[in-house]
Amino acid sequence: MDEARGVTHTQMTPPVVAVAHEDRRAIVAKGVEKRFGGTHALKGINLSLAQGQIHALVGENGAGKSTLLGIIAGRVRQTSGTIEVLGKRQGHGDPRQARRDGIAAIYQELTIAPALSARANVFLGQSYSRLGFLSERKMQHRFAELCTQFGVNISGDTPASKLSVADQQMIEIMRGVQSKASVVLFDEPTTSLAPPERDALFRVMHDLRTDGITMILISHNLDEVLDIADTVTVFKDGEVVASDSTAEWTKSSLVRAMIGHDLAAPAVRTTKQPHGGHRFSASRVCLEGAIDDISVDVSAGEIVGIGGLVGSGRTSLLRSLAGLEPQSSGILTIDGTAVAWPRNVRSALAAGIALVPEDRKTQGLVLGRSAAENVAMTRYSKVAHLGLVSDVAMRRAVAPVARDYGFDPERLEVAVRSLSGGNQQKILLSKWQFRPPRLLLVDEPTRGIDIGAKEEILTTLRRRADEGLAILLVSSELEEIVAISDRVIVLSEGRRVAELDGHVAPLGVNDILHSAFRVTHNA
Amino acid sequence: MPDTSASPIHVPTSAKDGTARQVREALVRSFVEYGMVWALLAVMTAAVVFHPRFLDPINLTNVLSQNALVGIVAIGMTFVIIGGGFDLSVGAIFALGAVVYAKWADPFGLWGAAGCVFAVSLVCGTVNGLIVTKLRVNPFVATLGTGSVFGGLAYIVSNSAPLTPSHLGFSLLGTGRLLGIPISIWLLILAFVLGALVLSRTVYGRSIFAIGGNSEAARLSGMPVDLLRGSTYMITAICSGLAGMVLASRLGVGQADMGSSIALDAIAIVVIGGTSLMGGEGAMWRTVIGLLILATLSNVFNALALSSNYQLVIKGTIVVGAVALDVFSRSRRT
Repeated sequence: MDEARGVTHTQMTPPVVAVAHEDRRAIVAKGVEKRFGGTHALKGINLSLAQGQIHALVGENGAGKSTLLGIIAGRVRQTSGTIEVLGKRQGHGDPRQARRDGIAAIYQELTIAPALSARANVFLGQSYSRLGFLSERKMQHRFAELCTQFGVNISGDTPASKLSVADQQMIEIMRGVQSKASVVLFDEPTTSLAPPERDALFRVMHDLRTDGITMILISHNLDEVLDIADTVTVFKDGEVVASDSTAEWTKSSLVRAMIGHDLAAPAVRTTKQPHGGHRFSASRVCLEGAIDDISVDVSAGEIVGIGGLVGSGRTSLLRSLAGLEPQSSGILTIDGTAVAWPRNVRSALAAGIALVPEDRKTQGLVLGRSAAENVAMTRYSKVAHLGLVSDVAMRRAVAPVARDYGFDPERLEVAVRSLSGGNQQKILLSKWQFRPPRLLLVDEPTRGIDIGAKEEILTTLRRRADEGLAILLVSSELEEIVAISDRVIVLSEGRRVAELDGHVAPLGVNDILHSAFRVTHNA
Repeated sequence: MPDTSASPIHVPTSAKDGTARQVREALVRSFVEYGMVWALLAVMTAAVVFHPRFLDPINLTNVLSQNALVGIVAIGMTFVIIGGGFDLSVGAIFALGAVVYAKWADPFGLWGAAGCVFAVSLVCGTVNGLIVTKLRVNPFVATLGTGSVFGGLAYIVSNSAPLTPSHLGFSLLGTGRLLGIPISIWLLILAFVLGALVLSRTVYGRSIFAIGGNSEAARLSGMPVDLLRGSTYMITAICSGLAGMVLASRLGVGQADMGSSIALDAIAIVVIGGTSLMGGEGAMWRTVIGLLILATLSNVFNALALSSNYQLVIKGTIVVGAVALDVFSRSRRT
């Protein structure tokens, strides 16, 4: 608020810890419980986290990590128990108080004000001002500093709504860093970030740690966790099952603790030759400002992965093919026959092309309706007689499809809103099994979901392909692409820069990254 | 996730208290889900106490037939609101229906005039639908504007004067009875049964829920979102025009200033019943509950000779309260 805040990180070191212990505890939770309606989200958490370290919380979705973070940040009020942050009682459900006490949170769902500029979003609630007037110059300067620190190039005047999801995420992170808090909470900050952006974030986290700031990180990416955290705490079903320093953990011991058993070997690419079925070929795909003259072809029985960093045009390519970008142009042929370029979703579907969008909540699912309804809405006619929908017929027709993706058919009547992320994603994918397209475009099928669900989804996608579906797959997790794709096309800055064929040589994450970067550096 | 519930409920952990909690939660849920049914029962109980003649069949028939027309408009409005829209022009279309019916009953006969009302309403609804879906104008603003246009047209058609057709059967629709029950009540019942069936059982109705709940998801599922959304405005317009026609018939006169309070009342009825203004959630039976609550209240107020000015104040308060309750119950969901 005042000018003094803008200078260094260290000045905000906790005022409260005058009662210094040798090993100072930043966060002490005792018997913290939380119930949401009938759900027991936290069942008496006892936890003690040291100051000036990076603490990772891992666990499957619904294990209670985010709830605990919400309590610390004052967003959620606990049902019982106490939580102390830097010696002060928290958990009163007042985010402003938590903020005053030096706690900043970067949430999983972005809390960006879309109409405000990127810069205004960073300084939201913490603008530099003098006598009530904003000090724009200072904020511009500081914003440029932050951009350099994170190695990103974001124009401060652009409205946040015009930024990519990754840049919005960066803005959100910058806001947390800018707040000069002594405890910073990160709830899955890297889900939409590309590797270089992740690295920049981790560098910044290291700097913050050097300044004595305590951080809590929630992440599904175990490599990332083992790489950056000092301690790892495993949550399962609302309880802490283990908490130890990172050195004591391995990836497999973490997985065991999280899900209670070892993970099956990752889905492997079958070396089966592609089916003789349909062959989709899109060439000279252009979309002003996003992609430039990309060609891609995919045959029945094949998964073609699209590698590339955020902003490389991956999502734009899928959206163009799905008829969601009326401004796009290109030439589409199916089995060599030219087909009109899809100008809207219905013409794309008529050509047999369907999209599984990247954001399941805003683009994919009707959250207030049941799971069965969400699946059936792709083709109501299948469960209706003379225009009348039968709920019984609907459940019966949807059940096998949902089961196929590992969704429990007993839960088909539950509103999608109250399903876990993994189950929501399974429903989203089931929609296009209920009305099978010939070419399925899949954007980020495993974002923010737990390992068990991830594995089920990837295995099922691979099986779909083996059954004769053509799949175009985009994922920020290149390991996933490598694991189930037959071929990979690498995009960079809206252009196609390489193609890797898994039948010629095994696919590797490094090869994809190498291709993706080569052009970036030459340009 | 966000839980903004006000007081921290102290929760002991023994098993016995666990079941007590479950019972309490079930009660809370049923209150949120069926709160308006309880409210209706409460209002009716109060009505019986304060207005001894409330249960008199003649009184009940009066209450229903007085409110049947706004009820029909509200049934149409339910489609628009569940589809994620809003329609402020229903009052103007209502007036237009009344005026058109009165003006053309003499030259074209009753059926001809009714056909004109139908056609005019359909055009109004189509205009609303096109402006909202194709020009992408916010529905509040769009229908506020078209409401003024349609209202103006009603004055133009009627030359700003009451139209009193001489056709002998003109008042039949509004004053006639079938099996001892006014035709307007039969129309309300018909509209309700049809509306409920279409909304909850047909592919069309389910699609309306989908576009209201998440239009992007509906679009990606291959639904003709614009067509569906536009059609809800047509349904409302037809309901409104026909309701206006019935009122003209009942009063024996068509006037352009009829229906001034129809829009607020219809929206109030839908919202009080518990259909969400956010779209995608609601039901036709809720609209009927809302209708009965408002109808009972105004009957009691009239019996107590409470001035209509106070009634306005109370009605507005109830609407705001109902929406606040909807928002509150949403925030309690995980």
